[in-house]
Amino acid sequence: MKLPDTSLSKLKLDAVTFDTLLERQNPFQSASRTFDLTGVQFIAPSALVQLAAACYCLGRDGRQTTILVDDADVRSYLLRSGFAQVVQTVVRFQPRMAGILTRTYDNVKGSNPLLIEVTRVQSGAELPDLLDRVVRVLRYRLRYKKNDAFDVAIAVSEICQNTFDHNTHACGFFAMQVYQKRFLEIGVADYGDGLATTLRRNPNNPPVASDREAIYQATQLGTSEFNDSTRGTGLYHLLEIAYKHKGSVQIRSGAAAMRFRMDKKQGWNFPVISMPGVQIAFTLPTKVGA
Amino acid sequence: MTIPRTDDTLKVMEKRFLLGEYGKQLWTREKAKEIRSQLQGRLQELNVGETLVIDVRDVEVFDYSFANELFAKTLLNLPVDYPGRFLVVEHLTPYTRENLEKTLESVGLVMIERKGKKLHLLGKLHSADQMTFDAIARTKEPITAAELSSQLDVNLTAMNERLSKLARLGLVRREKGTSPAGREQYLYVVLA
Repeated sequence: MKLPDTSLSKLKLDAVTFDTLLERQNPFQSASRTFDLTGVQFIAPSALVQLAAACYCLGRDGRQTTILVDDADVRSYLLRSGFAQVVQTVVRFQPRMAGILTRTYDNVKGSNPLLIEVTRVQSGAELPDLLDRVVRVLRYRLRYKKNDAFDVAIAVSEICQNTFDHNTHACGFFAMQVYQKRFLEIGVADYGDGLATTLRRNPNNPPVASDREAIYQATQLGTSEFNDSTRGTGLYHLLEIAYKHKGSVQIRSGAAAMRFRMDKKQGWNFPVISMPGVQIAFTLPTKVGA
Repeated sequence: MTIPRTDDTLKVMEKRFLLGEYGKQLWTREKAKEIRSQLQGRLQELNVGETLVIDVRDVEVFDYSFANELFAKTLLNLPVDYPGRFLVVEHLTPYTRENLEKTLESVGLVMIERKGKKLHLLGKLHSADQMTFDAIARTKEPITAAELSSQLDVNLTAMNERLSKLARLGLVRREKGTSPAGREQYLYVVLA
């Protein structure tokens, strides 16, 4: 798949162009611990959570990553989105970021398009509260019908549970935003072992030759790290929900990404710069006024 | 040849597990694991022939991981750990039914749902097996493979295969009975 214009001065950072950023400045394979967002004018929630996961991953050795960000609107967004707060222990902003907020937003009221701010999920026990928030904000802010809101929450639940079921020392990041009341974008990212490693732990699985194959296998019913016939359904059901709502899903793990456009029943896979963990971007047309 | 059963007897035989007591929105496998250990405690109290009804009244949603851990795992172990006991689900909404059905289909399991007085199977099952289950449920009394075979116009070998499959899935119970000629034979029964 051809990546968009890689000129960072015009870069919109989203689930796809995040890889452009990694291609140009790969802190996983260089001494530089810097993400240069100079000139970036827009960041999508899926890119925010990927960036958070990347910074946490790099921070495992106790060193901070530097994020260079100059655009006033983007800086303000990083504050409002909760990103600055979530990464403050592992990131140093340049210029320095003042006024990092330490509150949870009341997203049920107001007009903030960021429905749920960047949230660090550290254990499965935190998920029910997060999912209740997802349902509440969709029901009361976007007037979703109950079952449509539940579908979104189920998709989020299935993605997030994978983080804790298959990793012992990694947390997950979540954010949800609505665009012009037309599209809902959800980003979930972790920096755990990734799909290939977890699937290889089960000797009963078919051989996993590459990250691309791992993503494909993980979306098939019944393929899991565990030898348990009730496992290996999460990503399958995520795609089913995306299909039901004519949405799109990008699953990125290791050095591969797969994108599914369910409205057109199409899928692509493409190589990306290797990054630990699994990162998922999920986009759905909204059900506003449904 | 029939074993008389009355509604009073059934009420005594039936125990209920109120899932709604754990919340209206039931998320995660972890939560289901806690609930499953309590559900197993209730199953252990059952005698052969008794039924545990999982009453889903007031539950608005559960995710697939929850449904897999609670319903699918319990159903998988039922014929092995608690043979002859029935597990039935009741008061599903159209939404929870759809999601439970998808869960069961994805792992090749089938569960009995009771709607009012009618029994219905959730999950993926061949129409011939469904027809056999319905025929046993309709009689409301234990019935032999031979009787079913003639009722549904299916040869006896095929009928025995269907009945074995239904018994293996925990959907019918096989009891020993005696034919009018005094011979030992199996009777098949579905809870009412």
